[in-house]
Amino acid sequence: MKSREQEYREMFMAEALEGYDAMSQHMSVLEKRPQDEAALGELFRLLHNLKASARAMGHNEIGEVAHRMETIFGQIRAKERPFAGSAVPVLFTGIDVLGSMIRAVGANEPLAENQALLENLDRVVAGEEPVLADDSEVGSEEDATRKLELSDLVYIPIKKLDHLLNLVGELIIDRDRVLTLARELGDTTLQSVTAHLSRLADDLQYSVMDARLVGVGTLFNKFPRVVRDVATAEQKQVELTISGQDIQIDRNILQIITDSLLHLVRNAIGHGIETPAERVKAGKPEVGQLSLSAQTDRDNVLIRISDDGRGIDVERVRRKAVERGVLSRDAASRLSEAEVYSLLFDAGFSTAEQVTEISGRGVGLDVVKLAIDSLGGQVRVESKLGEGTTFFLVLPTSIAVKGALLFELEGHPYALPLMHTDSVVSLSPEKMHIVGGTLLAKVLDENIPVVRLTELLADDDAALPPASRANLTGLQDIIITNYNGRKLGLIVDRFLRQQDIVIKPVSQPLDMIELFGGVTLLGSGQVCLVLDVPALTRLFLARRP
Amino acid sequence: MPDSQAADKKAYKSEVPVQLIVFRLGEEEYGIRIEQVKEVTLTPEIARMPKTPRFVKGIANLRGDIIAIIDLEERFRLRPSNNDPVTGVTYTMALEAKDYTIGIIVREVPQPLSIPASSIEKAPEFIQDLNVHDKYIEGIARLENRIIIVLDMLKLLTPEEIMQLKPKATSSAAAERR
Repeated sequence: MKSREQEYREMFMAEALEGYDAMSQHMSVLEKRPQDEAALGELFRLLHNLKASARAMGHNEIGEVAHRMETIFGQIRAKERPFAGSAVPVLFTGIDVLGSMIRAVGANEPLAENQALLENLDRVVAGEEPVLADDSEVGSEEDATRKLELSDLVYIPIKKLDHLLNLVGELIIDRDRVLTLARELGDTTLQSVTAHLSRLADDLQYSVMDARLVGVGTLFNKFPRVVRDVATAEQKQVELTISGQDIQIDRNILQIITDSLLHLVRNAIGHGIETPAERVKAGKPEVGQLSLSAQTDRDNVLIRISDDGRGIDVERVRRKAVERGVLSRDAASRLSEAEVYSLLFDAGFSTAEQVTEISGRGVGLDVVKLAIDSLGGQVRVESKLGEGTTFFLVLPTSIAVKGALLFELEGHPYALPLMHTDSVVSLSPEKMHIVGGTLLAKVLDENIPVVRLTELLADDDAALPPASRANLTGLQDIIITNYNGRKLGLIVDRFLRQQDIVIKPVSQPLDMIELFGGVTLLGSGQVCLVLDVPALTRLFLARRP
Repeated sequence: MPDSQAADKKAYKSEVPVQLIVFRLGEEEYGIRIEQVKEVTLTPEIARMPKTPRFVKGIANLRGDIIAIIDLEERFRLRPSNNDPVTGVTYTMALEAKDYTIGIIVREVPQPLSIPASSIEKAPEFIQDLNVHDKYIEGIARLENRIIIVLDMLKLLTPEEIMQLKPKATSSAAAERR
């Protein structure tokens, strides 16, 4: 396993070498056409980028040279001076020196300041005559013996990686099928070959998944700027702390949560953190704290967006829910804090402007929820009035493969993503009771509504018949699902096993049915429907007796 | 619309043959233009998909593609005795709809048949009696003592037709049945 530092250095090297090659090329263009604006602009941009990335990596020697050259090209571009005269050899030397410094970084050698060059560059910047040494020819001799190098890194469009991942997904499905067949046929040679094939397919899968991983930092590092801009616009003082940039996650997952993260950060500054005056009045420091952090949590990545602002006023959200007719006064008062928070994510509720004004939260939270749901992730919120709010996003590391619980219903296999599975229990009907027509099971001191999945999936859309224990005999296999803090027990015919599955989207036109997150093929060749817990939960709420 | 031109025998009396795949639904013979048929196979194992209209038998794995399988006898209520489910060996015709492939389940092996284009007539008015709504019918082919109803699959296989719902509806597909 390569260290992170090593990987960063390789990335820096690849970018810097590419930049160096491009700069050399633009320099030779300028030699022929000193007024070529495209080449001047590119040189300016490349030097600027090199300066920034070199300084970020701590290679200040490169940064110093690049900075001065950038200034000179800025002057040339602004037509303050021509690309001519004694400045030209100095600039060429500068490019050469940058090249050798970049190579020194690659070879892990210490960098030395080139004092003569820096002084000459300073003179050119100041419009003075540079001191050209007689041995300026040495540089060109070095040029002649220089080796040509190709970068060790390649850039690859994410589309190609997507395609590769899809192919791997198909391969895994076929592998499972071949494994099953080999077992059924009982041929030992075939079995050993398939076992090897299986290991290769595993390796390939993990390699492709690994190739798609990027550091969360690639997204997080865009936020200091966002926070500064939003804070300025809102006239608030905010200090942003970022941690866990090195945590690895699939690039497409990062892409999908970009808008959500932006939403949450904007909300935190706009509605969470108070103005300096309000903060002082509340006995808090003037500068609000906002933190973005990532950490691994088993197979998932946990992203936390935390502020020390005014927090969510649970009572006001309750009142708003009643006013908007979402809940009866009675029902609202019985909701737990967690249930109140989950209201914020409901469509229609969260987009309501009044809630935004009062609770300071809610803008587009349903959109955030949808994005996270589409990834099979979870989002939840914790808040303390007057002390701040924290949003937690639990995301899968990779989209391709998901852990799932397989079970059987009326002779057909089904899968439920583990992400939304809380626990599995087997209970006898006597352990459950009926309240208001709904079956309740007590699991770990918590009363959880339970429904027979067959009934829930029945074609009928009318309200469920009142539950009765009469049609339940013997131990019932129950899967407790958890979505948005709402737990629901599903009675299934039989648990099968836990397995990593590759989810394929349901093909048209059946993709209109939102109950299914997709399908997967089992090793037996059987088609297995993957249930979508968010949709199931909504269906249950809609059909509850 | 070249198809309707071909069907209009008064205007165009050409003898270009039309290749059909002919299959039986209920007591009648139906045909589909061969270009629309991707393949015919033994029906693979079908997983019933809850919340779909009854005539959608479910989804099946056809060479790695997961496709929906539908039963047109049930769709058009052509089954002789209504409660008689399809049993035994059946065949599935994989058809290429606009954006997807879909399987149609049939009891007997569908047969290719070449007929002159001029033998396909526009469906007459009495077609209402045939259970199959005339908007899905491209024409009627008369051959000696056979009558083959030529279906316009593209019209029959739109998502709205299959799900029997308006686009963008929720999971309440089943409620809109019939």
